Amino acid sequence: MLISRRNFLKLASLSTIGAVACNFFDENEFIAQSPVRLPEDLVTGIDNWYATSWSGPETEGLIVRVIEGRAKKVQGNPLFPTNKGVSSIRSEALLQELYHPDRLAGPMVRTGPRGSKESFVSAGNWDQSLGILYDKLNSLVDHDQMLMITGAKRGSLAFLIREFINTYGGNHTVCKSVDELIYANTVKEVFHQDTLPHFDIEKSDFILSIGGDFLGTWVSPVKHGRGWGEFRQGEGRNRGTLIHVDSRFSMTAANADEWLPITPGQEGKFALSIAFVLLDEGLVDKAIADDFTEGQGAHALIEFAPETIGDELGIPHVRHRSTPDIIRETARAFAKRGRNSMAIGGGNAAAHTNGSFNMNAIYLLNHLVGSVNTEGGIVFNPSAPIPELNVNLTPHSMLKLQSATKKITDGGIKLLLIHGSNPVYSMPADLSFKEAINQEDIFVVSFSSFLDETSQMADLILPDRVTLESWSNDIPDPGPGFQVVSMGQPVVNPLPGIVPMEFGDILVRMGHELGMTDNPAFKNASYYDLLRDHANKLFGLKRGSITKPNFDAFWNTLLQRGVWSDLEEKALSPDLSEVHSKSLGIPSLIDTLKQKAEPAITGPSGSTHNIFYLVPFEHISLADGTNSHIPWLQSTPDPITSVAWTSWVEMNTDTAERLDIKEGDIVNIEGANGKTIAAQVYHHPAVPPTVVSMPFGQGRQSGDVYSKDRGPNPMEILGMPYDKHAGTLAWASTTVRITKTQERTPIPKFEGIVPAYATSEGETIAKITNES
Amino acid sequence: MPKKFTWLSLGLGGIFATTTVVLVVLFILKAWWGLPFNVGGWNDPPPQPIAFPHTQHVAIDGINCAFCHRNVLKGDSASMPAVELCVFCHKTIQGDNAPPEIQKVIDHYNNNVPINWEKVHRLPDHVQFSHEPHIRFLTETQGLKLEAACSTCHGEIRDMVEVEQVRGLKMGDCVDCHRNNEQFTENTGITDCTTCHY
Repeated sequence: MLISRRNFLKLASLSTIGAVACNFFDENEFIAQSPVRLPEDLVTGIDNWYATSWSGPETEGLIVRVIEGRAKKVQGNPLFPTNKGVSSIRSEALLQELYHPDRLAGPMVRTGPRGSKESFVSAGNWDQSLGILYDKLNSLVDHDQMLMITGAKRGSLAFLIREFINTYGGNHTVCKSVDELIYANTVKEVFHQDTLPHFDIEKSDFILSIGGDFLGTWVSPVKHGRGWGEFRQGEGRNRGTLIHVDSRFSMTAANADEWLPITPGQEGKFALSIAFVLLDEGLVDKAIADDFTEGQGAHALIEFAPETIGDELGIPHVRHRSTPDIIRETARAFAKRGRNSMAIGGGNAAAHTNGSFNMNAIYLLNHLVGSVNTEGGIVFNPSAPIPELNVNLTPHSMLKLQSATKKITDGGIKLLLIHGSNPVYSMPADLSFKEAINQEDIFVVSFSSFLDETSQMADLILPDRVTLESWSNDIPDPGPGFQVVSMGQPVVNPLPGIVPMEFGDILVRMGHELGMTDNPAFKNASYYDLLRDHANKLFGLKRGSITKPNFDAFWNTLLQRGVWSDLEEKALSPDLSEVHSKSLGIPSLIDTLKQKAEPAITGPSGSTHNIFYLVPFEHISLADGTNSHIPWLQSTPDPITSVAWTSWVEMNTDTAERLDIKEGDIVNIEGANGKTIAAQVYHHPAVPPTVVSMPFGQGRQSGDVYSKDRGPNPMEILGMPYDKHAGTLAWASTTVRITKTQERTPIPKFEGIVPAYATSEGETIAKITNES
Repeated sequence: MPKKFTWLSLGLGGIFATTTVVLVVLFILKAWWGLPFNVGGWNDPPPQPIAFPHTQHVAIDGINCAFCHRNVLKGDSASMPAVELCVFCHKTIQGDNAPPEIQKVIDHYNNNVPINWEKVHRLPDHVQFSHEPHIRFLTETQGLKLEAACSTCHGEIRDMVEVEQVRGLKMGDCVDCHRNNEQFTENTGITDCTTCHY
């Protein structure tokens, strides 16, 4: 049919009329509905996802789902180079930190006895509260009488803290009970690196892991877990092999091809025994061998020959293999993969009085096989891209904290500021930190968002914003082997009635009021402006993953992605395996031998039938107790025992039966200085017979219904042994005496509580009985 | 004469046609850029299933906007109150022997049937609008009370027996306001396209 103009107009009119007539518009478009019943959280279903980051035990890039101004879900940011889209249970529980019913609503001031929850009343608005802090800072004649205690910090906040302390004067201590100071020192000594290295697990073929539960809690478990998936099941590669040497059956031990239980404190000797075999059997390059033994070869380590030292290590004979055989086979397997082998260690291997020796011996093995700064080995991390972000406030030693505590006790500190740390709970009871600050002539300011053991001792509490309400940036430590800067932004506003203030903003404001504006750190109006200022410097580099024509576009993209990275910016370092160790100042095996020391064990001694090594460990979700107020994390079952909501002491099944201790029995655990705690026993066949283990993280004395009175804190019975070299707490070098009480409570665990039923008629369920 | 008449009629017809076309175009343009001329009921408020008087509830009873539109302070949508919320009060206020319009509400509740109100303010699907930041800006930065903040866009609701649209709420309206208030906000991208179109 010929389409004339008239016909065209007719058809156009008809189709328009038809569209309207046929209900072209959805009638719901014109309706606003009042539902009959309104749920409390009725939402439109329209969500937004914002990128942010969390600087917890490790830096995780996150994306948060927000609906109607409420954060609903936290997931890993797929663009973030370390966690690559996955996240830890701890970061997912940030929601419960945000919406916790016991969050402090605003500034609080003490009006009654110190240490009592009931002593606190509202301090008024923020201007009034900051006025109190300003008066204290301003009226202090001798600024050396101010002490700030913080947790480990990096990025712009660390820069700000450092500048505040440097400009004001005063003292600063970084406090963390289960720290990695010895590990960091070892990295500095053995590899000459200021930042922790990246373990290239993904491309490695063989890992000899000693001590550190790197798949559970040690250093960077989420990042390690990403590499682990590739290590075991990556496409186009052979399955990697892991041998784990540890005095506790941890999550890493459970995942290993072979777990070698070892007597606590003997890890360094084991590493040197491996080194002896490498040298003795000619499994490593002779030039390297001569370099690291100053020409003496295997003879230098003759005292660590497996046949000589095997019995000291406590490694049981497995499948008719003697301990020397096990060591030699392990060494051969380690050497066979050459540069694609890694020896890593930490955790309880470092937590001994000879921890530095243990760690140096472990990491020197990498030099012998040449897996230093190579693919599939230990890869160094570069420094931060701009100097302002190159500030890393790592935990100080136990000795430094002890010295600070003594200064408080002696009256040398009049103003104490505490942020991101709970030393009253997390440090050993023998430190007597609580007693030190329990005096009237010291003014204690806490920046905690919750009432805990330390903030309860404060005179003034200025609650900080929690992660999902905060601005932040961070340099992941360890990074992924190239430069990365994370960016955190508030994904929601604080709830109505909750009025916190960012610690960074408080420091900036104090800086202004105390006249520190000559310092560039305090020229900005707010902490947010400081972060923008640092981001602008990053923009000025004109390189990396975000290249935009102007700063505003750069900033918006940085917030959108939550991360800036530069794949090309790697650590500049010579191939250490090709260079003479002495010329670089790297300790040789001979130098390490000079550090050799037996672990000094603290605690009961004598009859051994009920005396055990105590090997505490960080709880998978509660960590060192930092998270014990979060119900999701309390209810997370431990991956080995499946216990939740309480503490427990792991004991070998046969040993427990010998002592007539049943699962759930309450036992008294006497540790250093005669101090005793009581805990429920959990039977486990894989606990070495000479060892008992307990998680850190429980035993909170104050706080809320979720954290209080949920089992003991092993920190109370550790005493204060420390590594002589680094001065850190040797938290795994205590013995305990176990005594059964008459009390018993069923242990809250998930395993073994679901009975097995036949799924079809006539099917038999196996039942184990004692009947002969 | 006939010729003269023809020219005259053609002239008048032309003027009439031109005027009609101009008026139609003006009508369309006015409706396009703002609100249509209020002729023939074009701009009348839509008929609602229940004659809900804001005059009674806001002006006389003094009920805060957020009491019923309870999501307005925290989310994108202001949200319509649930029937249950109405009944909470009207159980006792004129609940027995209720006037017809209140009885309708009670019937909806008893019969478990939601109320489908006719929308008065509509935005196209490609526009994202969130009440919460606007209310926060107007109350916190500009210091307005909540009712005044709502009235900025919705007019004096307290005086409306039937709610009607008083501002065009078209893109020009939004952009004008964003530009005028750019200096008061921390959001430097307040006039970016992606502020509303994302």
